[in-house]
Amino acid sequence: MKLKGEYTFDGTREDVWKILRDPDMLVLALPGTKSLKQVSENEYEGELQIHIGSIVGTFGGKLKLSNEVPPESITLTVQGNGKIGFVKGTGDVILINQSDVKTLMQYSGELQIGGRVASVGQRLFDVVSKSIIEHGLHKLNGSLQERAASQK
Amino acid sequence: MTNQFIGERVRRNEDPRLLTGQALFVDDVEIPDMLHAAFMRSDYAHARILSIDVSAARERPGVVAVFTAEDMGDDWEPGPPLVSPPPTVKDVTFYSRRQAPLVKDTVHHAGETIAVVIAESRYIAEDAVEDIIVEYDPLPVIADLEKALAPDSPLVHDDLDSNLAAHLYQQKGNYEAAKAQADVVIKRRFYLDRGAAVAMENRGIVAHWDEKAKHLTMWDTTQAPIPIRNGIAARLGLSENQVRVIAPFIGGAFGPKMMMFYPEEMLIPWASKKLCRPIKWIEDRRENFYATTSEREQLHDVEMAFTKEGRILGFKDDFLHDTGAYDPYGLTIPLNTQCHLMGSYVIENFSSNCTAVFTNKPIVTPVRGAGRQQGIYIVERMLDVASKELDIDPLEIRKKNFIPPDAFPYNNGIIDQAFSTLIFDSGNYIAAYEKVAEMIGYKQFVKEEQPRLRAEGKHVGIAIIPFIETTGVGPYEGARVQIETSGKVNVNTGYGTQGQGHFTTFAQIVSEQLGVAVNDVRIITGDTAEFHWGTGTFASRGIVVAGNAIHAASSAVRQKVLKLASKVLATPEDELELEDGTVRIADIPQTSISLGELAALANPLRGAVEPGTEPGLEATDYFGPQTGATASGCHAMIIEVDPETLMVNIKRYVVVEDCGRVINPLIVEGQIHGGVSMGIGNAYYEKLHFDENGQILNASLADYLIVTSYEMPPRIETGHLETLSPLNKLGSKGVGEAGAIPVPALFAQALENALQDYNLEILETPLSPNRLFELLHESRMAKK
Repeated sequence: MKLKGEYTFDGTREDVWKILRDPDMLVLALPGTKSLKQVSENEYEGELQIHIGSIVGTFGGKLKLSNEVPPESITLTVQGNGKIGFVKGTGDVILINQSDVKTLMQYSGELQIGGRVASVGQRLFDVVSKSIIEHGLHKLNGSLQERAASQK
Repeated sequence: MTNQFIGERVRRNEDPRLLTGQALFVDDVEIPDMLHAAFMRSDYAHARILSIDVSAARERPGVVAVFTAEDMGDDWEPGPPLVSPPPTVKDVTFYSRRQAPLVKDTVHHAGETIAVVIAESRYIAEDAVEDIIVEYDPLPVIADLEKALAPDSPLVHDDLDSNLAAHLYQQKGNYEAAKAQADVVIKRRFYLDRGAAVAMENRGIVAHWDEKAKHLTMWDTTQAPIPIRNGIAARLGLSENQVRVIAPFIGGAFGPKMMMFYPEEMLIPWASKKLCRPIKWIEDRRENFYATTSEREQLHDVEMAFTKEGRILGFKDDFLHDTGAYDPYGLTIPLNTQCHLMGSYVIENFSSNCTAVFTNKPIVTPVRGAGRQQGIYIVERMLDVASKELDIDPLEIRKKNFIPPDAFPYNNGIIDQAFSTLIFDSGNYIAAYEKVAEMIGYKQFVKEEQPRLRAEGKHVGIAIIPFIETTGVGPYEGARVQIETSGKVNVNTGYGTQGQGHFTTFAQIVSEQLGVAVNDVRIITGDTAEFHWGTGTFASRGIVVAGNAIHAASSAVRQKVLKLASKVLATPEDELELEDGTVRIADIPQTSISLGELAALANPLRGAVEPGTEPGLEATDYFGPQTGATASGCHAMIIEVDPETLMVNIKRYVVVEDCGRVINPLIVEGQIHGGVSMGIGNAYYEKLHFDENGQILNASLADYLIVTSYEMPPRIETGHLETLSPLNKLGSKGVGEAGAIPVPALFAQALENALQDYNLEILETPLSPNRLFELLHESRMAKK
């Protein structure tokens, strides 16, 4: 399943990068994230609760960051497992400077899903995952703006 | 004696019970102290199991046991091979790999059973399944048929060199020589994909090991109770007498319930014996998509050689067949496909090369049609392509090639699924074809109605597809018929029933011989305690094989009745007749004796019996045909396609069926209706979508679309033709699968006809509104 999209942040690339690399921020931002802790320089472990149609369940898994070129690009690899199935995916994120106060983030990747979430939720997965990502980025943007405001 | 039974539209004996909730299905079985099972199944299609931690599951209150493959110890063993490769075909390659009760090291398809929880209720069992922690090492998955044979493909079974499961080549005549003489050679590639059976009732098992009686009773939604009894007894080290398998009323089977020794079927009785408790397992719908078998994926490269007048000179075919992760069912489906690739036609030069391939997908075993659809689809599509290329009317090109009515028995020269030579016993294909054309008003529609409707902007199409169907194969079935002192008749047979109306049709056969009312004949099927020998309900063989065994046994009872009555009434046998439950003198009907009284006389409590006689009025007999009987028929349809939504509306649907001697037209029509509905589903709505990870993307009835009354035609007009089979006394042929077989080809022809302006060439099945939209789009792009 291909995931592709973009989002415009209200901030500089450096500020966006800082927020993306902050696990506490990500926990607040991604809806359903129950925990996310850093276990090594580029690895996080966590739990995410998913709600797709009538399927509700928790994925436990790992998030790996690689190909870091701050503040331009980064690759995320995710692998998760749960009672409702499994998820495996890789995505590339690029940050593009648009102006002093705007950064365009472009993401593109592939997600493989299996188990119940694939059998029954496949039709909705597309829509739900886009919505989760949008929601997350929106909240991140909110945190970004708050940070900027508090620094002034 | 007047025969008022065979050929009559008798209402079904079994319906009052079925319609008022008085019939026993497996899930109705309740036994005190019964436990419930739930399975942990793999989400991954291919993975190594690193560890299984069931400790938390075992601690859950209400859980009695949790078993993994390790817990089974020496009792762990894969299922037996069910059908061997045909011994009568040369140079067959076959690698046998079979499913196990629980996975030991490596998962080979999604949905495989990893562990089982036995608990006080299904709710607790399912919660405990979620307590089980399995560590998997996911392996690369191979789901694509063609890619599976590439040298760098992941291996489904790593103890083999490749994913080759089997190779089977059949040929007759000399195709290359035929091709050299041809005016036209047509080549096409066909892709056929999977569909499921989707019976209303999923699978279910109740196993009850009685430790004191040392006896196992098993209720199972199987089409084959006797082989299941034999196999389970062997696996558990029991005598066949210690095991009783009951296949009660079953809510539809359609083939997958003929697959035997499913993992759950091996596990539940074992667990019951281990725990000395009755255990019930009922499959839920999502399990059914993965855990019950399905069928149909094949990829064919076909070549046909024609004269310019449209005569078929030769047929060559190379195909890949997906067998899934295991191949317990042998080569039954590809053999059926090969036997139907020549359709109803004279084809003297034929070659078919089949390669069966392992993939990380659920097991493939027959579903209504069992490989025949694929053969008929291909030969009929090729004739449609040829009719366009040679500019010959599609009906004319078929009439030129039909096996003529005086050519029977017609030897097709290759081997069929029963390992005997494919010989068509009787038939009249031209007559059926012309009858259907007349019933649907083909000429008039094409000349007048169609152009008129088209002028109104409607996209209407008409199609006619003939087909043959091999039925009534051996090895054998048997029956015991007995007249009781009440005058009612008992029939015990090993042949099971899943809705085919056997309680009525088998009774009609008995009634014809013994002159009793149909509802005074009690049929007992599907219980291994009641009859010991038999194989199973499959391949449209009920009436032919079991029916003829019943005919033979009733006929033997009839002889006994006449012999005894002749003595009692002091009249020669040829002056007696059996009618209304009595034996009477034909010319003096007031002089009679009831069958019940005769039965009592045949089993005296005192006195001496004549040497060489048997007690009672009872006989057991068997029937085993040398070759199968070939049924045939023809379907026709008029549809209208909405060019925007690509939804179809079936305006008319006509069937002419030739299943030899018809026992009960009502039931034959029922079989046809059911078959047609499955055929329509197969053709335009049902498809199992697998992704490259071996995941089923539509494993629910919300996304796997089965036909509702909206998708059906308003009525199915049926005509009958009866070319009797010379192979059995009843002259019958099977009809169980016929309704489903020609429908995908029918849809393809009709859609091309309705959308003539788009010049479609449909070479795949199943279709769907989505897929048709894509094909139309591709065709438009190609034009540019």
